[in-house]
Amino acid sequence: MSYLPLAHALLVKEDLPIPAWLFAWAASIVLIASFFALSLAWRRPRFEQEGWRPWAAALSKVLLGPPMQVLCGAIGVFLLGVGVYAGLEGTEAPDRNLAVTFLFVTCWIGFPFFSALLGDIFRPFNPWRAIGRLAGGGFRLLAGQPAGRLRYPERLGRWPAALGLLAFVWLEVVYGSTGGGVAVGLDPHVVGRAALYYTAYTLAMMALFGVEAWCERGEVFSVYFGMFAELSPLSVKDGRLGRRRLLSGAAHWATIPGSAAVVIASLSSTSFDGAQEGAFKGPIEDLFNKLSDAGFGLVTALRLSDTIFMALTFALIGLVYLVGVRGMGGVAGSPSQRKLRIGFAHSLIPIALAYLVAHYFSLFVYQEQAQFTYLLSDPLGTAATDLFGTASGGVDYKVLGANAVWYVQVAALVIGHVLGLVLAHDRALVYWSDYRKATQSQYWMLAVMVAFTCFGLYLLSSTA
Amino acid sequence: MTLPLAHLGHWLWIFYLLPVLIVVAGVLRSSWLERRNGRSRHREGRSR
Repeated sequence: MSYLPLAHALLVKEDLPIPAWLFAWAASIVLIASFFALSLAWRRPRFEQEGWRPWAAALSKVLLGPPMQVLCGAIGVFLLGVGVYAGLEGTEAPDRNLAVTFLFVTCWIGFPFFSALLGDIFRPFNPWRAIGRLAGGGFRLLAGQPAGRLRYPERLGRWPAALGLLAFVWLEVVYGSTGGGVAVGLDPHVVGRAALYYTAYTLAMMALFGVEAWCERGEVFSVYFGMFAELSPLSVKDGRLGRRRLLSGAAHWATIPGSAAVVIASLSSTSFDGAQEGAFKGPIEDLFNKLSDAGFGLVTALRLSDTIFMALTFALIGLVYLVGVRGMGGVAGSPSQRKLRIGFAHSLIPIALAYLVAHYFSLFVYQEQAQFTYLLSDPLGTAATDLFGTASGGVDYKVLGANAVWYVQVAALVIGHVLGLVLAHDRALVYWSDYRKATQSQYWMLAVMVAFTCFGLYLLSSTA
Repeated sequence: MTLPLAHLGHWLWIFYLLPVLIVVAGVLRSSWLERRNGRSRHREGRSR
């Protein structure tokens, strides 16, 4: 069975001018220099106030008005329908079926990129929100009153979204993984069924807790894409489109419980996807052999060993963050550990985006060529249709040079971690009024950032 | 003569770990110095 090259190790680097590991040293030096520059030049918090300014009311009226909302919602529902239909009725070959590329590349990778630039663009296209709002409106019309809702448990926070995020990535990189001589592949029929189950679950939760409450805390894709949208300078407030200070939206994102788990889940799932075919390949195969020797079936042993390593990656990244928080707690005048844990989680958002860019940038460029040529014209992959005359199109792998991809990866990681340092430094200035103490607390975040940068570069160098 | 470098690739991770260890060592040292200075300042304050 064929499968999508989701391990994104599509290219082998040509001769780099210096060994790959030296980039990790250079990136660490950039981080250290940025840290000292921040401690010298950034002595008062700047992100606590967004500095939001509305744009022209007419623009908001056009872009956010009811006709546009109905249109975007209808597009979202239509595309979900096409994806599910292609998954259920199309070919079993994942690389020829629109469902897999559309869901795991176009949406999963595309929305974070564009949300970070343009704001929460998923919200108007969210098919479940559109269905939920339509159903709620219909109920109100018939019953003459809004449907009764349960109060969303505050302590649950964003934990359902964090677990859902891990489950979604598990489906892609573990359930559909290959290794140990076993090629399972992500069956598009499974993707179609999973999308239907998720739709039923999401609509049930929306009926229980309300559409907006569930989208803000529990709906995996709203929370995940919305997290990246907080980095954007564009946002909507009280129905008006406006501009705010870059990165300032992220400052208060993590105050809801479970938010740190969401961003750590994002980081760990991307890391595991990269390490699965590189740094972790040997250890995973060792565990796979032990489990299959112990009597597990080949597919079960493969999925079990992948699951264990994915959970370990989550635990490891969470542990590095907690060590950083613990270290900050030792600085005189520190707030509680809980406050620190919540207060600095947003500084990981640019890193999560950097990891996404670094790991999936080339895959996105290649697979979108497939998406907008043969997959668009022949979504079922049965060679029976050629809707737009592009069914015979293909992927041009020469569009990106191997070294160009490497430099984009390094740049993404360095910029992401420097932005993480900036956000953490700004928050430290809120918690420690003495800027010297604030800087001292950030030694630990510097160590965390250097660790994540070197880990990220190691993963990339061992897969590319 | 061929150098036994066939397995060098298995040890490249050390080069990625070194910058992290250097920074962590620097952080630990500065924290230790800060604590020591704090203690000595505290002692001086009490002796006055």
